[in-house]
Amino acid sequence: MWPQLVLSGIAIGSMYGLVALGFHITYAVSNTMNFFQGVSVMLGAVLCYVFNITLGWPAAIAVTLTLILSIGFGLVVERFAVRPFAQNGSNSWLLTTIALGIIVENLVMVTFGKEVRAYPSPLAETPIRIWGFGLFPIELLIPIAGLAIALAIRLVWTQTLLGKAMQAVCENHDTARTMGIPVEQTIALSYAVSTVLAGISGMLIAPVANVSATMGTLLGLKAFAAAIIGGLGNPWGVVVAGIVYGIVESLAAGLFGGSYREILGFAVVIIVLALRPNGLFGRAQVKKV
Amino acid sequence: MNIRIVIGMAVFMAAIAATLVAPNTYYLFLLGMIGVTTLVSVSLNILAGLSGQISIGHAGFFAIGAYTGSLLMLRAQWHFGLAIGMAAVVTAGTGIALAAPALRVSGPYLAMVTIAFGIIVERILIEWVGLTGGFTGLSSIPKPSLLGIQADLRGTVLLVIVLAFLAVLAFASLKNHPWGRAFQAVRDDEIASASVGLNSLYVRVIAFGVSAALTGVAGVFFASVINFVSPDSFTFQRSILFLLAVILGGMNIAEGAFLGAIFLVILPEFLHDFVDYQLIVFGALLLLTLWLAPSGVVSLFQRWLDRPNAVYPLPSPPELPALIAQHQTPTPLEVNSVSIHFGGIRAVDQVSLTAEPGTVAAVIGPNGAGKTTLLNLISGFYRSQSGSIHLGQADLAQLNSRQIAALGISRTFQATRLFNSLSVLDNLRVASAGARLGSVVAALLGWGRSRRPERSLLEVLSFVGYHGDVHQSAAALSFGDRRLVEMARALVTSPQVLLLDEPAAGLSKEDKLALAKLIRRIASSGLKVILIEHDMELVMGISDTVLVMDSGTAICSGSPSQVQQDPKVLEAYLGTETPTSNQIRNRALAQSPLLVVQDLVAGYGNLQVLKGLSLEVNEGELVAVVGANGAGKSTLLKSLTNLLTPWSGQVQFLGRSLSKVPAHTMPHTGIVLVPEGRQVFRELNVIDNLRLGAFHRRDHEIAPDIERMLNRFPRLRERQEQPAGLLSGGEQQMLAIARGLMARPQLLLLDEPSLGLAPQLVTGLYATLADLRDEGMTILLVDQMAGLALAIADRAYLLETGQIVRSGAAGDLQNDPAIAEVYLGG
Repeated sequence: MWPQLVLSGIAIGSMYGLVALGFHITYAVSNTMNFFQGVSVMLGAVLCYVFNITLGWPAAIAVTLTLILSIGFGLVVERFAVRPFAQNGSNSWLLTTIALGIIVENLVMVTFGKEVRAYPSPLAETPIRIWGFGLFPIELLIPIAGLAIALAIRLVWTQTLLGKAMQAVCENHDTARTMGIPVEQTIALSYAVSTVLAGISGMLIAPVANVSATMGTLLGLKAFAAAIIGGLGNPWGVVVAGIVYGIVESLAAGLFGGSYREILGFAVVIIVLALRPNGLFGRAQVKKV
Repeated sequence: MNIRIVIGMAVFMAAIAATLVAPNTYYLFLLGMIGVTTLVSVSLNILAGLSGQISIGHAGFFAIGAYTGSLLMLRAQWHFGLAIGMAAVVTAGTGIALAAPALRVSGPYLAMVTIAFGIIVERILIEWVGLTGGFTGLSSIPKPSLLGIQADLRGTVLLVIVLAFLAVLAFASLKNHPWGRAFQAVRDDEIASASVGLNSLYVRVIAFGVSAALTGVAGVFFASVINFVSPDSFTFQRSILFLLAVILGGMNIAEGAFLGAIFLVILPEFLHDFVDYQLIVFGALLLLTLWLAPSGVVSLFQRWLDRPNAVYPLPSPPELPALIAQHQTPTPLEVNSVSIHFGGIRAVDQVSLTAEPGTVAAVIGPNGAGKTTLLNLISGFYRSQSGSIHLGQADLAQLNSRQIAALGISRTFQATRLFNSLSVLDNLRVASAGARLGSVVAALLGWGRSRRPERSLLEVLSFVGYHGDVHQSAAALSFGDRRLVEMARALVTSPQVLLLDEPAAGLSKEDKLALAKLIRRIASSGLKVILIEHDMELVMGISDTVLVMDSGTAICSGSPSQVQQDPKVLEAYLGTETPTSNQIRNRALAQSPLLVVQDLVAGYGNLQVLKGLSLEVNEGELVAVVGANGAGKSTLLKSLTNLLTPWSGQVQFLGRSLSKVPAHTMPHTGIVLVPEGRQVFRELNVIDNLRLGAFHRRDHEIAPDIERMLNRFPRLRERQEQPAGLLSGGEQQMLAIARGLMARPQLLLLDEPSLGLAPQLVTGLYATLADLRDEGMTILLVDQMAGLALAIADRAYLLETGQIVRSGAAGDLQNDPAIAEVYLGG
């Protein structure tokens, strides 16, 4: 039984990893974080459901439209919930992004409804058998897609001028500015990337995890936990931590029962931070006197 | 009587009256919930407001309190009072245990710890059915009883309201108690707190414990009032709503907790028919509050409510305040060959220094010489890797900054570090209390809080020359006053040694004169003063001994006049004048102005650095701006490129005003800054750094230009694939210049290119600059090394405290005695 638990842990864990990557990107570029991401996951799933199932539009159009809207969410969050505060050195963005999330989540609850809906998908109908274990194709697709996206982001980050400019912004805003790099737009872009990553994870897990207005909050928190455990400043660290987190909680749930999923997972977070305040793969910041 | 107390009493009486006449249990529940939520808000305000640690998991403490109390009463038949006590103990313990990981982290990491805690508690409540009843929860929870009298719901609510009122009062008095001030001091500035002897870890743990205990007590009352507990009441959303109550009412404001609680309890009743919209409204409220009234609703009325009468320091300053005259011992402070290395850079290398009682020992040296690092070694912020620091019997090299502060070593900081949200007086009170905070329980009961300004503190304030209101908040002080208050704060600890880090930076001429007198008077009381300062007139005027540092080592020491005559010193400041053949300028230039600066005024916060500065750079010229550290050279270049928005004045480039040009479009306009300290992108390799220099360009010459740069700087070609962070200082400087050139600028601004480089590297670097000049590049060069800069420049300006004091052909300035005077004092 446990290899199956591990495999489904990897599937959900790679989604944690993707969303955690979103936390990492905004943190690296601007030292702020997007707690709207959990809700972005939900929006990705819900919007795709509405376009694809409720309205019956073709999947390709539904997915494209959802991605475009996800970009918009990131830009709106950055512009209205983050920038006004971050520019004044306030860390209220933590609360404003959460508040925005609460508002949107409840708006969706009012409009879309509270009920949990299954997302019918050909990829989640007939299980395929690997080494004697039943798995839906989507459960294989999720981690592959997750890793592919993480890899793609890494390539953009290290191989393109845009990625290098973003790295430059991470290192020093003022110097980046003197080189002609528009720092504000770069930060906005990093938020758009974070919500798009969240939107993609929402669409990917919809067929296995079902769709509901409340599906995002806890997932967002777990992704944040993964980002913290991995060390916010380390992109591979957060992705790996996400996958490991997924496996651990899947095993905990399978072996001890559903509720232990969160108890064990979050206890690990506290223990890791008690031992390594900058996460497992994070670097300590030098304190200047 | 204070209007605040009148309103508070009126509200309290109204709440009591409402409870007494409440017609049914519904209203009693509401009143009880307001009381309970006020208790939680007060406790969260202690943690988030006073000590600055945002908790998104307070529902967890609330739950632990509620369940502990309920279970003890239900299962073990404990008395209500005992159950409350136990709940407080258990939650305080949990809070302190949670604080252990939470303390080592801050910001998002701290948020994560508290979120995780809250969720774990909620899940345990659900899962541990045998103890907690799972989703069903516990019911029939007893009401309080006193002396055999069993309270009904009305009695319980009355008790809750009284407690809530007392909690608000306790918060108000805590703010005026050493404990409350310590919470705020640690929140405002951890380093400054350590410098006055506060243990920030301990202070934060206590804040956590107190806050958790109070929330736990509130939890028991919650259970008792609604007669039923289940996991539904202790969700993640609940934690956020508690935080909302605090933010809505006002962080740090006693009454805010009550106001926030009212919103939190009453609002849902108005939205009774729209249950689904409740959280939307709360979310919107949170957003609106943070946008429009980030200090909370009560703060909007603050200006009418909370204004203590102005109190000024004594009109005639005392000859020597009692606090300073105390505890002077005749032992010197002896620093013996201390060293510290940061990743291969010898920041301080085998430096020794003795400060005798009653004297001023100055430490001077060019930028980056290691002076502040030496100070940090003495005050224990860094630990020396060799040698010893003795004050009497104690070896400071073995102690931490708090212990050193307790031994009577007090300091100021280069960038003043006041506790900004505290008043001037409270800044001093924090320092004079130091680690002696008393009992935190007494603090909550209102014992030991201070009301009247202490005369001894007023004495010190007037002694240092502060004339303003002592209730003024530190954030609102002028720059000069900040320096004075910081010095007063250092003095009220009755120090034996006073360490001053650039106390005169940014002060006017008159203020500097007053400061010089003040430092002398402090020293004459028997204190040992160690002074780091760039203003040579001040240093030479008041110091008994002067130690000169350069690149981490002591190059010379002695009396001011000895030091002034030592050729090594002038060389350290002005650089060696050994121009190679190509550095000699020999040309006539057309006079077409490229950059025209008129009356430029700029600064940081309330510190004015540039005081109406005008200069011109003509096409093809190399213009140098020289001046001592702190004269405003880097500020000039930053305001030319709008990295720092000028306060006033005109900057024109090619006849066009730059005032509306954002910093990141400067390369497009034709101006590129090579920043101070090189600032190469350390994680990116050499080629990528060069490529980013041409970020704004869209032409096809970029790759050939990179090739040209690698030809010009062959060292960079050798290391082209390496991350720039691994390059040596000299290579990084070459890269920074090459990166700047990649933008194909019409005007290149160079900020302190020689900073931190070994002399032979500097010579090579300047040869490169001379080449650029001969190729026709227009350059505005800012450097402390006046000798070198003047050797290659066509024209030059001499900058002193934000103003041009000399200008002319570089050759003429080279022989001008004013230069040495500006650097080393007259």
